[in-house]
Amino acid sequence: MKFNRRSFIKGAATSSAIAAASAIFPGISFADWTKQEGASGMITWKKAPCRFCGTGCGVLIGVSGDRAVAVKGDPNCSVNKGLCCVKGYHSVQALYGKDRLTKAQVRRNGAMVEVPIKEALDIIAARMKETIARHGKDAVAMYGSGQWTIPDGYVASKLFKGCLGTNNLEANARLCMASAVTGFMTSFGLDEPMGCYEDIDHANVFVTWGNNMAEMHPVLFSRMLANRKRRNNVEIIDLATRTTRTSQAADKAILFRPQTDLAVANAICYEIIHNKWVNQDFLNNHVSFHKGKTNIGYGTEDHFAFTDTEEAISFADYQKFLEDYTPEKVEKISGVSARDIKYLASLYGDPTKKVTSFWCMGMNQHTRGTWIQNLVYNIHLLTGKISTPGNSPFSLTGQPSACGTVREVGTLTHALPHGVVTNDHDREMAAKIWEVPVSNIDPKPTYHTVEMFRALDRGDIKFMWIQVTNPMVTMPNLNRYRNGVLKDDRFIVVSEVYPTPTTDIADVILPAAMWVEQEGMFGNSERRTQHFARIVPPPGEAMSDTWQLIEVARRLGFEKQFPWSEDEHIGKIWEEYRRFHEGPKHNMAPYTVLLERPGVMWPFVDGKETRWRFNPKHDPACTNGKDFDFYGKKDNKAWIWARPYEPAAEAPDAEYNFWLNTGRVIEHFHTGSMTRRIPILHQAMPSSYVELNPEDAADLGVVNGEMVKIISRRGAVTMPASINGRGVPPRGMVFVPFFDDSYLINEVTLDAFCPISKQPDYKKCAVRLEKA
Amino acid sequence: MMTKAADKIGTGTLYLAALCLLGVGPAMAAPDIPPDFDAGGEKIYQSYNATPPDYMAADSGNRNLMGFYELRQYPGSPPRIPHAVAQSFSDQPDNCLSCHAKGGYNAELDSFVPVTPHPENELCYQCHVPQRRQELLVETNWQSIKPPPLGRSFLAGAPPPIPHSLQLRDNCMACHTGAGAVTELRVEHAARGNCRQCHVPVISTEPRLEYVRTP
Repeated sequence: MKFNRRSFIKGAATSSAIAAASAIFPGISFADWTKQEGASGMITWKKAPCRFCGTGCGVLIGVSGDRAVAVKGDPNCSVNKGLCCVKGYHSVQALYGKDRLTKAQVRRNGAMVEVPIKEALDIIAARMKETIARHGKDAVAMYGSGQWTIPDGYVASKLFKGCLGTNNLEANARLCMASAVTGFMTSFGLDEPMGCYEDIDHANVFVTWGNNMAEMHPVLFSRMLANRKRRNNVEIIDLATRTTRTSQAADKAILFRPQTDLAVANAICYEIIHNKWVNQDFLNNHVSFHKGKTNIGYGTEDHFAFTDTEEAISFADYQKFLEDYTPEKVEKISGVSARDIKYLASLYGDPTKKVTSFWCMGMNQHTRGTWIQNLVYNIHLLTGKISTPGNSPFSLTGQPSACGTVREVGTLTHALPHGVVTNDHDREMAAKIWEVPVSNIDPKPTYHTVEMFRALDRGDIKFMWIQVTNPMVTMPNLNRYRNGVLKDDRFIVVSEVYPTPTTDIADVILPAAMWVEQEGMFGNSERRTQHFARIVPPPGEAMSDTWQLIEVARRLGFEKQFPWSEDEHIGKIWEEYRRFHEGPKHNMAPYTVLLERPGVMWPFVDGKETRWRFNPKHDPACTNGKDFDFYGKKDNKAWIWARPYEPAAEAPDAEYNFWLNTGRVIEHFHTGSMTRRIPILHQAMPSSYVELNPEDAADLGVVNGEMVKIISRRGAVTMPASINGRGVPPRGMVFVPFFDDSYLINEVTLDAFCPISKQPDYKKCAVRLEKA
Repeated sequence: MMTKAADKIGTGTLYLAALCLLGVGPAMAAPDIPPDFDAGGEKIYQSYNATPPDYMAADSGNRNLMGFYELRQYPGSPPRIPHAVAQSFSDQPDNCLSCHAKGGYNAELDSFVPVTPHPENELCYQCHVPQRRQELLVETNWQSIKPPPLGRSFLAGAPPPIPHSLQLRDNCMACHTGAGAVTELRVEHAARGNCRQCHVPVISTEPRLEYVRTP
């Protein structure tokens, strides 16, 4: 049995109380920070993308000596134009937590002991060889991250898919972006948004679909607010399952019952057609109609498999399908009044209004995640409000490089840097660029993330290397997967910057370089690739994830595929990777251009960024001579899908009578392993809580701060209540932020997922409450 | 440009009176002047016109430089909120701006309110957070540079340069005048109004390039 970190945390709390005491006597220090010894007082400013969310703000990092000492927003970066959020302004403090991992550790007789990093890398390579020899190549796996740099993900893909020949490569973006990808692929045949953040400066109507942008994408949200203030024709409609800061800042907030966004979206389409607000020219030229399988399941059982089948239908068929979704019928399903549905439809349908829809985890973490993306695209396609400035169905990302590293590099079991493993041509291209035999690349995908952890639990996978992510906090139905990794013959390598519940279960811990301690690139939500240099040195023996992978690859005998010197490997990797995306549909900017600018959007063709894809005024890949060219699909059309409303995998019943919804807060990024070490953020949001509706709290007899036990069929967590805090759920729902590993809410959540995208639904499961 | 509100007549009076009520109000550039022209330089004039001379000249002694930096993690970082806020801290943004847009005396806190230099940014909690706990999760090795020294003129008697960047801090009136201003940062001659006539940004923390003439 591997050791538990709880006792360590208790010790740390005592010592931090002593540290805090010095802050209570302000007379002692002039300000709350230690002054750098012998500093000249001069700062040089270096550009980087922010470390945290998928917005991809440009920051300037103030460097004094070999330390990062300040941050300001990069006024030259079009993403944020000089403004950051509270996480970005204090991001550099995340480098300096006292418990940074600076040495490699290996587990010996149950205890972790420090070893030189070279020895740890030897152990990893030996263990991989031995595991492959005894159990086959599909017994080793890598689990990476949307916070991987692009080179991190690229070398991981090259090593696992190209050299070792296993498709056991996944990334946590499966838990965050997979439905966005399958939504784009099914509707347009190409991944990632057609528009860009500039849409915000043109749109008249913003609809946030289950998307608390005010906290999760504050820089974009404040750009919306600034537009509303500057122009007198802008309104914001929040469409959500709970009242949030976004609802409060919106002009109108509409609540729907969990999962019924499917019905609401269809009802909006019904109204648009019923009122003849359809853009007929656009529809005739650019849209085809399709349907897929229904009653598609929820993936809660091991080895669950699903393949959709597509069937062409006519506009009349589609119209008939929508008859089940009149506003009056949908009012009964969704709780949204027919009047509000008609109002929403009238905004989308008004030809004089430009409409941008924003969404993120509400639509992605959804057991019908692919469907709801299709349905929102349907609204924009019926009205032709797409691919023009201000008319934009916009899928936001949550991680700094979910797009750049996971979606573009393809660090998922079925994917390659260009295309998919099942496609002969794509495998040949990869084999050629990687200089490996094409037979190396397995044409069969193996496990998506949830199934990969199930395989680890079952013993089909024996070795897993985890980088830049914290699955022992974030996996849904966590108890099962933690028990799985703790089984005796499982070997877990974790590359991390701080101790986390995931390093607790590691057999080897590699100290990782973080963010600007290494050179790399991120790719944000609007197809923007952002380079950052190694601005400060990593502490101790900490090494970049890219270089860790290269070191192990060389120990496994793949020197030929990983030949680069430490000085120039990032530039060389970028230029090799760029070959996968050559051509006007996805050309990436050269390394030298990335060095100069705060970010460059792809397709980057003839020195120009493409701001609106599929629109020939902006996109050089359009060739059909019409006003739009949806070249992603073979029929050169965007696809409208008839997708029904189907209920959630687990809904409240007599015994488990509450919905549980989980998510984030503005102060913390994901599991908080970085942001909780930033003083101002931890002090502002020190611990997690459960939000209750005031009436439910009264029924339960709890007041603010009293403990509530949240119990599901899978686990229970006891945590303090928050009533009328910054978010208020409707009656019958509770909400819990997941950043605090003292309250592992994912022991309660359900590992049901969208059968098409395999992305789990963290927003809906059934719980009951007890006053603790 | 530099006339006081009272000197105007007709619709101009109404317009400027409205500005007075709103404090600085949105950064409305004159027609044909882009909103961010000259690093938002127009804000200074708007703010000047909107601030009564008595308020501009007042000094409460409420705030000092030590308190100013105690709220910051490094020179130029967004300060944390030093007073209690509603538990939700979610209400409409004018809750912050109702005090911090124009300043004045707050009886509840018995204090003169500092004025924000960027009231056009309404999503206050995007950058400013309260402190709900003193303890840290783990200690930090964070260090930053010393704050820039004040009043450092290049020549004896010359006006000191502006030691900070103008990004989000381009309205001199907001922080350097009035009863809510930090005593050490107050200017005695705010009535002159055209601040950047004499004070130019020379950011003391940034390396200065020596001028070399290339013939």
